[in-house]
Amino acid sequence: MSKGFNLQTDKDLAKDFLTNFADINGEAKYMSILQEVANRKIRAVQIELEDLLDYKDLDEEFFGRVTENTRRYLGVFADAIDELIPEATEAFTEDDNDILMTQRAADGNENADSADPHQRMPKEIKRFFEVYIKASCKGQARPFTIREVKASNIGQLVRISGIVTRCSDVKPLMQVAVYTCEECGFEIYQEVTARIFMPLFECPSERCKINNAKGNLILQLRASKFLRFQEAKIQELSEHVPKGHIPRTMTVHFRGELTRKVAPGDVIELSGIFLPIPYTGFRAMRAGLVADTYLEAMSVSHYKKKYEEYKLEGDEEEQIANLAEDGDIYNKLARSLAPEIFGHEDVKKALLLLLVGAPHRQLKDGMKIRGDLHICLMGDPGVAKSQLLKHIISVAPRGVYTTGKGSSGVGLTAAVMKDPVTNEMVLEGGALVLADMGICAIDEFDKMDDSDRTAIHEVMEQQTVSIAKAGITTSLNARTAVLAAANPAWGRYDLRRTPAENINLPPALLSRFDLLWLILDRADMDSDLEMARHVVYVHQHSKSPALGFAPLDASVLRAYISAAIKICPHVPKELEEYIATVYSSIRQDEAKSNAPHSYTTIRTLLSIIRLSTALARLRFSEVLAQSDVDEALRLMQMSKFSLYSEDRQKSGLDAISDIYSVLRDEALRMKKMDVSYAHALNWISRKGYTEAQLKECLEEYAALNVWQIHPNTFDIRFIDA
Amino acid sequence: MGGIPFDCLANPLGAVRITFERAISSGSDPKTFNGKDWGAIEVFKECLFDQNGLSQVPILDSSTIGRIKPNSLVRFRGMVQDMLGNELYVGAYKDESTWRTNKYTDVASFPMSSSSEMSMWERRLLYCVPVRGQSPWVVEASSSAAAASSVAAINRRDNWASQHGEKRRRDDDTSVDKMDCNISNHEVKGSPSSTKKMREDGLPCLASQSHELEIGETSSMQSVIPDFDTKSLSCLVKIYDSPETALKLNDVFEFVGVFTFDPELVASKDETAESDALFEDELVNLPPNKVPRLHCLIHKKKSIQNFLCGSPVIERVPYVIRGIRESLVGYLTAVLGNDGVAAQSVLLHLLSQVHARVDTVAVGKLSLNLTGFNKETVSVFGNQLNLAIQSLLPLTQALPLTVEYLNTASLAPKKDYKANRLITGSLQLADGTHLILDETQLNSGTLNSTGVENVQVLKSLMELQKVEYDFEYYKLEMSSDVQLLVLSEGKSNILPADLVLPFQPSSVGSSLNADANALQAWRWYLATLRSLPHVIDPELQKVIENDLVEARQEDRSLGSNDFSRWLTMARLMSASFGETSLSLEHWQMVKELERLRKDRLK
Repeated sequence: MSKGFNLQTDKDLAKDFLTNFADINGEAKYMSILQEVANRKIRAVQIELEDLLDYKDLDEEFFGRVTENTRRYLGVFADAIDELIPEATEAFTEDDNDILMTQRAADGNENADSADPHQRMPKEIKRFFEVYIKASCKGQARPFTIREVKASNIGQLVRISGIVTRCSDVKPLMQVAVYTCEECGFEIYQEVTARIFMPLFECPSERCKINNAKGNLILQLRASKFLRFQEAKIQELSEHVPKGHIPRTMTVHFRGELTRKVAPGDVIELSGIFLPIPYTGFRAMRAGLVADTYLEAMSVSHYKKKYEEYKLEGDEEEQIANLAEDGDIYNKLARSLAPEIFGHEDVKKALLLLLVGAPHRQLKDGMKIRGDLHICLMGDPGVAKSQLLKHIISVAPRGVYTTGKGSSGVGLTAAVMKDPVTNEMVLEGGALVLADMGICAIDEFDKMDDSDRTAIHEVMEQQTVSIAKAGITTSLNARTAVLAAANPAWGRYDLRRTPAENINLPPALLSRFDLLWLILDRADMDSDLEMARHVVYVHQHSKSPALGFAPLDASVLRAYISAAIKICPHVPKELEEYIATVYSSIRQDEAKSNAPHSYTTIRTLLSIIRLSTALARLRFSEVLAQSDVDEALRLMQMSKFSLYSEDRQKSGLDAISDIYSVLRDEALRMKKMDVSYAHALNWISRKGYTEAQLKECLEEYAALNVWQIHPNTFDIRFIDA
Repeated sequence: MGGIPFDCLANPLGAVRITFERAISSGSDPKTFNGKDWGAIEVFKECLFDQNGLSQVPILDSSTIGRIKPNSLVRFRGMVQDMLGNELYVGAYKDESTWRTNKYTDVASFPMSSSSEMSMWERRLLYCVPVRGQSPWVVEASSSAAAASSVAAINRRDNWASQHGEKRRRDDDTSVDKMDCNISNHEVKGSPSSTKKMREDGLPCLASQSHELEIGETSSMQSVIPDFDTKSLSCLVKIYDSPETALKLNDVFEFVGVFTFDPELVASKDETAESDALFEDELVNLPPNKVPRLHCLIHKKKSIQNFLCGSPVIERVPYVIRGIRESLVGYLTAVLGNDGVAAQSVLLHLLSQVHARVDTVAVGKLSLNLTGFNKETVSVFGNQLNLAIQSLLPLTQALPLTVEYLNTASLAPKKDYKANRLITGSLQLADGTHLILDETQLNSGTLNSTGVENVQVLKSLMELQKVEYDFEYYKLEMSSDVQLLVLSEGKSNILPADLVLPFQPSSVGSSLNADANALQAWRWYLATLRSLPHVIDPELQKVIENDLVEARQEDRSLGSNDFSRWLTMARLMSASFGETSLSLEHWQMVKELERLRKDRLK
């Protein structure tokens, strides 16, 4: 091994770094850690390479050497810490090891100068700390996948991500074996570096050698130093596996403080040293040829996929800021959901709001009001409902897709199962519990088991799953947004029957959905042609036609939503009144109508608020605006129209006059004679009319001299009769 | 072999060594050779392809393995069934003052001292198995090729084969998992004709084997080996240098490489049984005495066309194609009891292939569901059709769907973390395989959770041409390209095929024997025409678009799936005439076929 560098100088560099490194607050970070260590508060000294990079007197070469040859520098840092470790400032209870150490120190003088390596006390046995070097995130933007770790990485510190598939038990691993000699009574030390070692049998001490005594050595288990040791296998994450390949696996060794940090199924990010396994015994004969490798873990962190813990990476922050400034963000985001599914803009908008949701509120008396939006998509077979669902799940950081029928015995809620190994009763969460703090998409909602369907009532309003089975009574959190898809009662939507007949779900369940959307497959020349073109294009060119806009990446979408979700908007005083009037007017409309389509309850009011809050979040605004409420109402109206469109067609003849009356009423309510075009558009869109219809209305009534229209801005001024 | 001072075929490692030394002496640093070739491949390519040495390379299979000398060059054709990850090895090391290489070998040719300077390289391990579902004629052809090529090998062989134990006949395919089995156990089992006999009773044979694929109950080793063919010989192929994307799971390759076998290694394996059962060496389950190692020098992807050997070179001229088409349709019509519409549909179906994946749609697939079978007719026509397809396509499989089968079989491959292996399932198939699902044997019964899962796997294969492989912690979707034919009584609801056609035979076919030349031509036709390119003229595009819209105005139940199917049929129809551009005539034929089909559905 060539030594182009000097370990002594490197130790000095390490010492210098440890003593002088100051964190942002100007405190000597590592010295305070060392103090804690000296006080026996903690055992692990984690040296973050990031700090080393930030260090003012950084020696680039030194940094390079640490990353390239990490294992050796662990020792260098440990040596440095040995020399730096301060005196304990607090009293601590001495354990066996400390007592042993004092004893050893007392008779240490006797053979301190002994040249015999076996008799010199190894440094490891004195140490009561462990050193870890944590890889820096700066050099490497994202962790490696397992297949990216190559032969050239041997000995280096690497960061990788993966899922834990298997874990061994934690076992003791001997670090220093201590023997006592029957003849001379000396303590003999043996450092163990591999997993297997050859115990010493003959006393190597000077005295025994001179006396030719061949002292018998006895292994002292209590005096030896052991480390906790755990082995695990990690596997590549599914998103990192290239198409047509099998996920790779890697062995990871955890030592000391890092043991028991992972369990099978955990998604983790590791930094560690990529090392070949030293072969022993017979296998060493072929060791020259093939080497098994493992990763000596240096730090473990669990992947956080929840929105709250979503860390913005690199330029994402900037991207989001740019997007937020763009006025059309709402449309843009909505269109980027399942861009390959043509049309359905309003449905996508609703789904976007479902992703964003509103904050949960807990009242002083402990009552909780859910913030999650529930949406039900109902429609003919083959209108891409399932695709929409699957896409939403793929965008959401935590989502579970299940079908009403296909879920296993655990079902949607939870089940008590007998563990096959221990025969104990264990609670196993179903899809809804697994989707806690996320989204649960349930396909074939109408075909669900009755038992699950009753349980869903609780989930959707109380957001818990209660279970009382086999002596286990408990309540599990299921704070999840439910996105359901269902087929109409007779497979296809039958226009001759009433919506209530078509929707094969009990009203108690339906009222829990904030929005119920009917996606029908309607006869329409234009959309048919669009579809025909699309299919022909796909077959002609073997790819999808260009979308006419660039959809945002799912990662950008996720980042934007995660940023939006941190905001907790409130309803300003001015709007309270407005919402109240709107709600009461809906109630009154319903009372007037002889065949109410929906039953507006206080739940509807909460839905309106939830939807508008989600909209405000999308604008990054702390305060709800009237436009949010209007858009929320429009969405609700549109969702109703999707259900009762025949009525719209019937009343379609009268759309113009209806628009007029809407405008007139609003103007009277505001006690104003002028209505701006934007306002007018807002009002009528809430009722589900289009801009074209508004224009038609404006022209028609202007001709009747009911109002004047500003030629450029189209603002309306009523002519008082 | 004038210019080459070494024998690539008999002593490939020598050739590797010489080229390595040459490269070193010309001043290259051996450490830079990681992941690179120093000119060895060139030499082999020249020897194998330019000097036509390939035909002299023996084919490694169960019949020849006993006769092939270790460290010699062999050919092996197999499907990548599992990928075992990377293996690090000492690529180059300094033996005193000379550099040596260990590339393409398992054992160092010269002793290495531990202190010597060395450079770690890596190679990829692929577990390859013989392609599943090869039709008898393919097996026959390849085994005759193997026999021919091994003549060359036999000339070179020494007494190695006789050293290695007496030749025992394998008593049954279950003996594979017995640890004491020696390589020569894989000794010739029967001539090609006996395999053929076995194949002819296709369905029952598969049913009896299906239970072997169960996970859990059988030992992992046994289920790892997909023992559909008694002649199966799997192989651990070590890949050097080639980019990762070149070799994918389920691809079929012909590997040319160094066959290694070292009895010393076998012995050492037994002694190193580690106590730590959790973290054994991955390869423990694949001891070298059961699974031969192949150090791959050259690999070539094989597609459906490559399975035809000795096929006549037929010129692609319209009238020839037309002639073949006509005779093939005639043959199919006879097989299908004079049902012309069904014959046309089956022809289109046999030509289908996934050409592209757009969003979630696999463009080009055309699964066919022939309905109207019952237990009696299926035994007549189903079997006839099965045999006919077997004689036409190189890769065919048949699955009888029974409740019991669905409840017990594992259709999708599953990862076994204990053995760290991917356990194959019946649906791990090479691209281009034809699969017949016989639903007529399905009685009413209860599906357990395995059954439900299996049905979903089949459904996703049907609809998306994708199989989800179970990795326990997550599922990984693998694209596949399998032609699916469903035989059922009524329209199959479990397996929604693209094309549903009530089968209406009018007579039992009498003479079904096609002569060999015609079969050859048909095989060539089906293999070649399916990959023809295809364009739709803008003019015709307008016509089609209008036709589609019109059709939809009439029948609201038509969706984009139906449109997509029509266009696929149009493509296949035009391909069946050997044309690369869709013509109005063919489009009309598709519409006509569709009309006839509609009439039957009423």
